[in-house]
Amino acid sequence: MTRPAHPHAMQPSRAGRTRTAPPLLPDRFPFQGRYLAYTLFDLTGVVYLIMGFVVLRVVWALGDGPQAWQAARDSMASPLGIALHGIALVSVCFVGVRFFRLFPKAQPPRIGPVKPPPRPVIYAMLYLVWIGVIFGFMVIINGGFVG
Amino acid sequence: MKHLLLRLEPLIWLLFGLGILVGTMLLTGWLLVFAVAAPLGMLPAGALAFDRIHEFAANPIGRLLLLALIALPLWKGAHHLRTLSIDFGGVSRDPAVALLLYGIALLGSALGVLAVIRL
Amino acid sequence: MSTAPKKTLVVTRFDPDRDAAPRTQRYEIPVQTDWMVLDALNYIKDEVDGTLSHRWSCRMAVCGSCGMMVNGEPRLTCKDPLRQYGETVTVAPLANFPVVRDLVIEMDGFMEKLKSVKPWILRAKELAVEAGPVRQSPEQLEEFKQFSLCINCMLCYAACPVVSNEPDFLGPAAIALGHRYNLDSRDEGASVRNQIFRGEGTVFSCSYANECSEVCPKHVDPAAAVNQAKFNALIDWAKGLVLPRGRQEQP
Repeated sequence: MTRPAHPHAMQPSRAGRTRTAPPLLPDRFPFQGRYLAYTLFDLTGVVYLIMGFVVLRVVWALGDGPQAWQAARDSMASPLGIALHGIALVSVCFVGVRFFRLFPKAQPPRIGPVKPPPRPVIYAMLYLVWIGVIFGFMVIINGGFVG
Repeated sequence: MKHLLLRLEPLIWLLFGLGILVGTMLLTGWLLVFAVAAPLGMLPAGALAFDRIHEFAANPIGRLLLLALIALPLWKGAHHLRTLSIDFGGVSRDPAVALLLYGIALLGSALGVLAVIRL
Repeated sequence: MSTAPKKTLVVTRFDPDRDAAPRTQRYEIPVQTDWMVLDALNYIKDEVDGTLSHRWSCRMAVCGSCGMMVNGEPRLTCKDPLRQYGETVTVAPLANFPVVRDLVIEMDGFMEKLKSVKPWILRAKELAVEAGPVRQSPEQLEEFKQFSLCINCMLCYAACPVVSNEPDFLGPAAIALGHRYNLDSRDEGASVRNQIFRGEGTVFSCSYANECSEVCPKHVDPAAAVNQAKFNALIDWAKGLVLPRGRQEQP
């Protein structure tokens, strides 16, 4: 037996003629089977929230001047900073892959008179743009990697 | 509060969608720089020097990019944590949780606007 | 003495007149290799325990009656081969639904959600019969055909974590059906349905689990419908900010 779902899940507006047993959650929800990936997908919200504030802090330091900027850089280069960024990198890749798989089928068959491209094309375009954005970052920091 | 949330739901979803799409792409770039390239010494000397970075950041495109990097992940994060709360039986506390999380995202976004203005 | 292989079915039982809560009952039965899970349940009812209650009808996955949780997964028992399972198979009523008796769930809540999206052609003005038939090209049909294939089996509701936790959520099948009509070239009721989609049962509650599409036996892909519906509801909301409702002609 699994755990209870919301007591009013799928409940009709009027009670039936006999007493019903309360609804139960799907057996594998939330940590087993495919639901685990789903729960982790939601959990990446923590990472995104933290990263938003990390970037905020760094940009604020940039506005404070060279010393504050150096302190922010040092903080990001600390073991904790690198670990956080590393976890965040894994998280965003996981989110990207999962969401991009869904994105093509989420486009309506027509937006006004315009038809979106076929789904495989949208899928490929997403990855191309992703790579393009990364490339853009590398260009911004002076031509990319050394060596 | 619940009624207000319903009325704002499309806007929140749009911000969440942009957060997950654009925010993910932008954050990947940021993270590859600061989680991989910088610690491994793969960046050219002076790549992250204050003058260089500040010059780019103070550019209108730079300001927009940095604002997107701050705000979009916040809305994605807030919405997903709200979903997580509901998934663990929290629909009755949802208005309060939503207010808290979207409030945090809004505050962060507002501070983000300030941060890029004062560059 | 029968040499047919045996399996044990662990079946949820619940009699509201006798049981405080659902319990399980074990049935060890001889099985045949070509059986579906439904065949085993019918054998139990016919030969072992006539008190077992379960819904079924067509036996060919078109009526949607026989949905149950088999080893924790929502399945149509008429098209779920028994041989893929080990010696013990658990059969329970669909998750997320109140249980009326044994394997029979209360489906009135589902019917209400279906009806609430107005799943019929809505037109501002009905066409006169004399005007002749409405023409629809194959391309126009393709836009919504997939979403018309739903057999209302409710497996998607049993798998959806939002249905588990948000009683007001319209749910995958209802949204897919409403979206099917929004996409139909004969229909003019999209703005009405989009308002329903932004109401108490909001489509925006969908959290991208995609479980509905994973379990759908007819490959309707309700997750696609729900997420397309979100986009259209967003456009409708944005239009509503600019153009007051009264100025739009509605059915």
